[in-house]
Amino acid sequence: MSIVQPSGAGASGRGSSSGLADVIDTILDKGLVIDAYVRVSLVGIELLTIDARIVVASVDTYLRFAEAVNRLDLTQTGKQKGLPELVEDMTQGGSKAKVKGATQGLLDAAGEKIKGLTTGEDEDEFEEADEEREPAPRRRRRREE
Amino acid sequence: MSGSTDKRGAVRSDNPGSGTRGTTQHDTARAERAATARPKGPRSKEHGAPGSVTGTYVYGIIPSDVELTPGTRGVGDPPNVVELVRHKEIAALVSDVFTDRPLGRPDDLMAHEHLLDATATQVPVLPLRFGAVVTDAQAVVDELLAPHYDEFLATLNELEGRAEYVVKGRYVERAILREVLDEDPEIARLREAIHGRPEEATWDTRMRLGELINTSIAAKREADTDALVEAFDPLCVSAIVREPTHERDAVHVALLADTDRGREIEEAVDEFGTRWAGRVELRLLGPLAPYDFVKT
Repeated sequence: MSIVQPSGAGASGRGSSSGLADVIDTILDKGLVIDAYVRVSLVGIELLTIDARIVVASVDTYLRFAEAVNRLDLTQTGKQKGLPELVEDMTQGGSKAKVKGATQGLLDAAGEKIKGLTTGEDEDEFEEADEEREPAPRRRRRREE
Repeated sequence: MSGSTDKRGAVRSDNPGSGTRGTTQHDTARAERAATARPKGPRSKEHGAPGSVTGTYVYGIIPSDVELTPGTRGVGDPPNVVELVRHKEIAALVSDVFTDRPLGRPDDLMAHEHLLDATATQVPVLPLRFGAVVTDAQAVVDELLAPHYDEFLATLNELEGRAEYVVKGRYVERAILREVLDEDPEIARLREAIHGRPEEATWDTRMRLGELINTSIAAKREADTDALVEAFDPLCVSAIVREPTHERDAVHVALLADTDRGREIEEAVDEFGTRWAGRVELRLLGPLAPYDFVKT
């Protein structure tokens, strides 16, 4: 799979690669399907297709979210500037400086987040080692139109 | 970890103009005679080793006026050489597979998509879903290319110069939890209720809290996806919102676009990346074969 990593100020595409998860999202339930009666059955395909389905919301999801929010450190500053800082900004300034302070706080926070984020993807265990396999058909001639 | 532009997996157009493959040129008249689908007969073994059970794996449909990079390999272990089966103005990308061996290892999945995506950068392609196998090369013509000739050709013409791009975004957990916590007093209250207490003692509250968070994130997903689709509307021919595959998915959108607008699409994704910095990890995949835009 070709992947283009967006370049803007390190804002996006970080730590990303096109792994097996991307491929599974794409080729197992999308694309043309051959009529069943024409198709020759293959060992293992049906199973694999079913395994790839992902349940989006479940009890596990809820419990995980609850625990994650439980573990959030509300006092931390800097990278995750949030409500406490904003409140501080607003109480420090007079009514005039209020809006400005809040906005700047947000912008600062965003700037620091860009620098501070190093979290990787959790789905990239399969790196493609198949670069040499890159094909591909080239157009032999273009029809004149 | 810096945000360098990194294009991987681009097609190498090595040996341009080098020898055209000695591809099987199917007899059109014979193919047309056999155009009506026939009942599936005993499996042909004409090109397999004695005793082996082989089939023809089909990757996708392309215009027939192309040549393959010699030695291109596909799925299977060991992978066989990819060939073209032509029928008039269209052709199928195929390779032999053993049907008595499991297919679907990570390498097989990657090979399938690699081939199609690399193809999509050069010519229009109709990608088949993983795992399409017919009895032999003749069946590819008789049962796939010939019966669907007109629609395949028309769709290929429509896809000329176009490819799929997929924009994937995932919320950064800390950031999105902070967001929902700040915005919803009930979430903040329930968090207080469980904070520092063991899971067993707060099960119900945790379930309620987790569900609220999930609902909040789903609402954000919808809003963010709408914003992104609207922004990309002028850049693409069509857009399809994919189902989320993870509870922290922010956006998952497939776009069909002219490949000469690829740069603009990258820039637009970058803009969103900047707008959502620290909040959403955003990735752009493509150009890809138009998996989301072929009808079955």
